[in-house]
This record gives sequence, structure tokens and C-alpha cells, in this order.
Amino acid sequence: MKMESIDTAMVLNRILTSGIVMSIEKNDKELPGLERLLSKHTSRSEVVLLNSRTAAVHAALAGLGKGHGENALCPELDEELRAFVTWLGITPDEAGEEETPGFDLVTVTPEHASERIAEAGRSTAAAVVLDLTPLGFGPAGAVVTDLRRVRDRAERLKIFGAFDLRTMWTQRESEPDLVPGVQFNYRLSPLVAGCVRMALMQALSADKASRTSGTGVNS
Amino acid sequence: MITDFPEAPLPLLDGTETTAELAEFGGDPVIPKGLRRTVFPVITKEDTFHMLRSQRSSPEKVVEEFAERYRSYVGAHSALPVASGTASLHMALVGAGVMPGDEVIVPAFTFIATAQAVVAAKAVPVFVDIDPHTYCMAPERAEAAITERTKAIMPVHVHGLPADVPALRGVCERNGTVLVEDASHAHSAGIGDSMCGSLGTAAGQSLMADKNFPLGGEGGIAFFSSDEAHQRAVSCLARNGIDYRMSWIVASFGTSQLQRLGYYDAIRARNAAELSRALDETGLFTPPYVPEGYTHSYNMYRIGLRPEAVGLEDLPVWKVKEAVHELLVAEGVPAREWQNTPIPCHLPFTHRHGFGNGYPFTLNPEAARDHTPQDFPVVRAMLESTLVLCRELRSPVEHERLQRYAAAFRKIAKRPDAIRTLVNERNYPRPPHQEAARLG
Repeated sequence: MKMESIDTAMVLNRILTSGIVMSIEKNDKELPGLERLLSKHTSRSEVVLLNSRTAAVHAALAGLGKGHGENALCPELDEELRAFVTWLGITPDEAGEEETPGFDLVTVTPEHASERIAEAGRSTAAAVVLDLTPLGFGPAGAVVTDLRRVRDRAERLKIFGAFDLRTMWTQRESEPDLVPGVQFNYRLSPLVAGCVRMALMQALSADKASRTSGTGVNS
Repeated sequence: MITDFPEAPLPLLDGTETTAELAEFGGDPVIPKGLRRTVFPVITKEDTFHMLRSQRSSPEKVVEEFAERYRSYVGAHSALPVASGTASLHMALVGAGVMPGDEVIVPAFTFIATAQAVVAAKAVPVFVDIDPHTYCMAPERAEAAITERTKAIMPVHVHGLPADVPALRGVCERNGTVLVEDASHAHSAGIGDSMCGSLGTAAGQSLMADKNFPLGGEGGIAFFSSDEAHQRAVSCLARNGIDYRMSWIVASFGTSQLQRLGYYDAIRARNAAELSRALDETGLFTPPYVPEGYTHSYNMYRIGLRPEAVGLEDLPVWKVKEAVHELLVAEGVPAREWQNTPIPCHLPFTHRHGFGNGYPFTLNPEAARDHTPQDFPVVRAMLESTLVLCRELRSPVEHERLQRYAAAFRKIAKRPDAIRTLVNERNYPRPPHQEAARLG
């Protein structure tokens, strides 16, 4: 299903009226809202939101402890992502049939949003990269995982501090093996997060309604 | 509905504020609790309407329209809109021809993203001290740090005051290096008629929502002085599959905000001028220095302390600063340190893991040095003797709020006895640079 323009307009107006459009604002509700939604529907306890799919792949690899000069077992990557992983200095080894890659890659399209989120929930990989860009609000991505360690490392890549968005101003390090190396600003805009959340909520609720009425999966 | 509309106006001054007891010692604060919030960015009906209209365009067109309008405003040759300030600096460096293992000279006092962007470009940041008056990169320190592997000098127009670009340009010309600006604090700032972002071979600029020129959340833009430089950056993104694209939502907000940027800049300049006049009269406080012909954008407003002017010269200046900081916060003026130690003393540059296994520092081990705060005496002295106003002055605050800021500084400057009492009572344990590194 595709989100109606009027719904996007409502979401954007609601967020603009709140006056909070910055990710590092401690009163922001949009980013935590999207994190909760993705956590619930992928049944993963940890979510890291990012500003593109390449940022999400980078965060997943960093989360898994992979860095320059190392090999990583990857899912099938398109040409762009293969080039990106290579640019990071990581050699992407494609996982064979018997192997589980370090992360799975799921592209969430407007037409099949609910199915794709369910697919991410079924993945057995340690982390799942969600490409949320096709939803239409600009580049957006996420990493979902059950591993706190993966989350912590991924979060530190996307900010400049030692902890998370709202406490990023310190570099007092409580966990020395999580010391950041290069840090990119991969933060997602709350305006984009709010729209992505609305689109996913609509897709998931339409899917639930169609299941309840016995008309099958949305398309 | 959650709204950012103020709940009540600030009362006008009645003349008793500066003579009342200090809030720290039980008096009424100059800015009452509940009225301390500053709103930024200012979001108007034009922003919401433009956002709705943008839905009818293609995303690429919305981003392009924004980038072209802002490029034209800045006066740069070409522009590349991206997802963050860090990405913009990365692309500026690549566009300027910085290659893996090259050295890029950066100031030791800046936000950490300046140096991390150098690492993103797979180059090695070489840190130098700052000028004691402008707090920007000292040209003579930059020249002294040049080696055969130096590709670029990247000054930061720190807090919104343009760096000494004429002198730095001379350094570049004499040594065959290029000038790349970090203009992340310097929207609408400039030297003479030239605006920051158009002064070097390339420039990067953050446009996150807390900057003087805010976009819808997170964003940045790189500027280039030639088609070749622009093309080098674009090719790098395509060749390496890097997705640094700006969201249309973010760009749409920028286009409508740009129409009001001049208005907000004028209020910031007016407020800064008035506060500077007030600080000049206090003795204890000094306003930011602005060289003739330079336009400061006042993204941050750094205030100096002169303990000797009020008979406190026997106290270490950093202890006076700690006490004044406490007194200001109690009066409702949220002054900050904004950084407490030079950037090379932050964890990413003491451990130097980079992309992993030390890359790109391993490409040029001689340039990757261990530092202590003592290596940058001017940065250290500045951090020990200054305080900063950030959002509370970069927001186009109302005149009565500005008058109250000024009143709070006057009130505290009249009470060196209270500062001495606090210093004696608190026994502040250590100077700022001995604390864990802070980013803000």
C-alpha cells in the first residue's frame, strides 16, 4: 500500500508544530517511536536508526566488530553495496547455502512493507539491515538486533560521543573495548522518522485487517 | 497538541535586577524558572505550507532547488547537498583532492567532526594551536606544521567568526596546499563581501536543525570553487556506493527557512552587539573579538573573564570561571564550557582505531601523534578562562530576554566577593582539561 499525501502532510505538520526537528533533542518522540515500532514487529530488542542504507550496512558491520582489513560474511549485495563495503576496507564474502551471514539485508518497499518487516523478524542473522528508503521520505535505514553489544557499537558509529543520541556529549568511556574509531554523523531526522513510522503503521494495520477478514496478505 | 509556543512572556526589567541578592545565595534569579526556554528553529506557517507543496514535486527537484538557492546566496561556484555536516566536510576534502594518507592541518579547537571528516577521507588530521584573540586556527602554527605530505589546510570559522583566510591563503600559496573551509558555524558570516563557504577550494557546512541556518533535522552542504572539484566529490560517491543524499523533507524546510535567514541574522547581530556593549562595561567580562571587515554569525558567543579587573587576580582563572558558571546558571543564563580539552585528546584520536586496525593512520604513522593538552597552550588557556552562550543567543531571542542576560552579567560582575566565597567553599578539584573529554 502507498501512504496518502494527506497523511504525510498531517505527520509533518504535527512534528513541525511541536517545534522539535532535531535528532539530538532530548524531548524528541519521533525517533524513539520508530525504534519501538521496529523492535515490536521484528521481535528484536535493539534498534539503531540511520540516515541511509549504506549507513545501516556500515553500522551493522561495525556492530559485528568488523573493520578495515577484515573479511565479513555478507548476504548477497548489489553492486553499490559491494563497492561501499569494499570502500570501508572490508572484503565481503558471500555466505554459502549452509552459512549464516553476519547480517541480513531487507528492503522495505511501500507495496510490501508488512511482509518485509515480517521477513526481518524471521531472519536468523545476528543483525538485520532494513533499507527504509523506498518508503519515499529520503534515505533512511535501521539495524535491528538482539545483541546489546552490536547495538552499542553501531550507535557509537553514528554519533560522536560514547553513549547515545541524548547523552552523546561525553566521551567518558565506561567500556574501553567500545572506544570509537572513525565516527560519522549518520543521525536520522525526526521528520523523516515520523513519516517512516506512519507509513509502516498503516501497512502493518492494513495487513492485520486483511488477515482478520481472511482476504490474505496485503499487496 | 504539543507546541513550542511560549507559555508566558518575560517581564520587562524594573531596574532592581542587578542590585538584588545573587540567585545562588537565595535571591530571585534574573530569568525566572519556567521562562528560560529559547525556541529554535522558529517554525512558521510558511515552513509547513512549503513542506506540503514539496510533496507535489519529485524528491530530487526539491533537494536541487534548495541547493541551488543556497549556493547562490553563499556565492559559491557549485554545491553538493548531503545528509550531514560531517558528510559535507568529507566531500569537500575529497573534492579538494585529498587522498588516502595525506595530511590535513586542522585546529585543535573545533567540534570533533572536523577531524573525523579528515579520517573519513582516509587522511590524517594534524592538529595545530589557535589564535588567542579569534580562537580560530593560527596561520603561523599551520605553516609550521606543513610537511611534504600536507595536502590541505582546513580552518574552522569557529563559533561563526571567519578564520584569518587571507593569511591562510598565503600559507597555502607558499606551500602548494589547498584551503578547505569548515563553515559549519559560519552561515552568512564572511570577510568583506565574500561569504564563508566561498573562500577556499572547497568548503563543508553543517545544516543541522540547531545551526544558525537550520534544515529539517540533519543536513549539510559542500561547496566547490571549480567543476573539477565538484566532479571529484560526485565521482567518489558513485564509485564507492556511498549514500550521502539529503532527504527532500530536510531540504524543503531549508528552502523556506532561507527566506528568513537574513531577518534572524540581523536579530543575532543586534543582540550580540548590545550584549557586547554591556559586557565591556562590566570589567570582569569581555565580548568576542571581531576583526575589522569581518562578519561574525554568532552561532556561539564566547565570553572571556578578566579576574584582575575585579581584584581576583590571586585566584586561578579556571576556578573563577567555575564559580561564575555556577552563578550564571543560578540566574537562569545557561552558559556552557563547549569543549573542555583539545580535540586530539579525545578518545578517537588517542586510540586512533579509524576504520579499523588503525587505518588510515597506518598510512602515515609519522603524522599520527600522541598529544597532551599542554601541546596546545592557547586552546588550554581559552578553555580555562571563557564561557559560552549557545542556543540561548543563536536563537533570535526577544529583546527583553537579551536585556536580562546583560543584567545577569552586570549583577555577577558587581560581586567579586561572592565569586571568591564560592571558590573558597567549593574547592573545585581540577581544571577542565583534566576531566573526561566533552563534546559540548
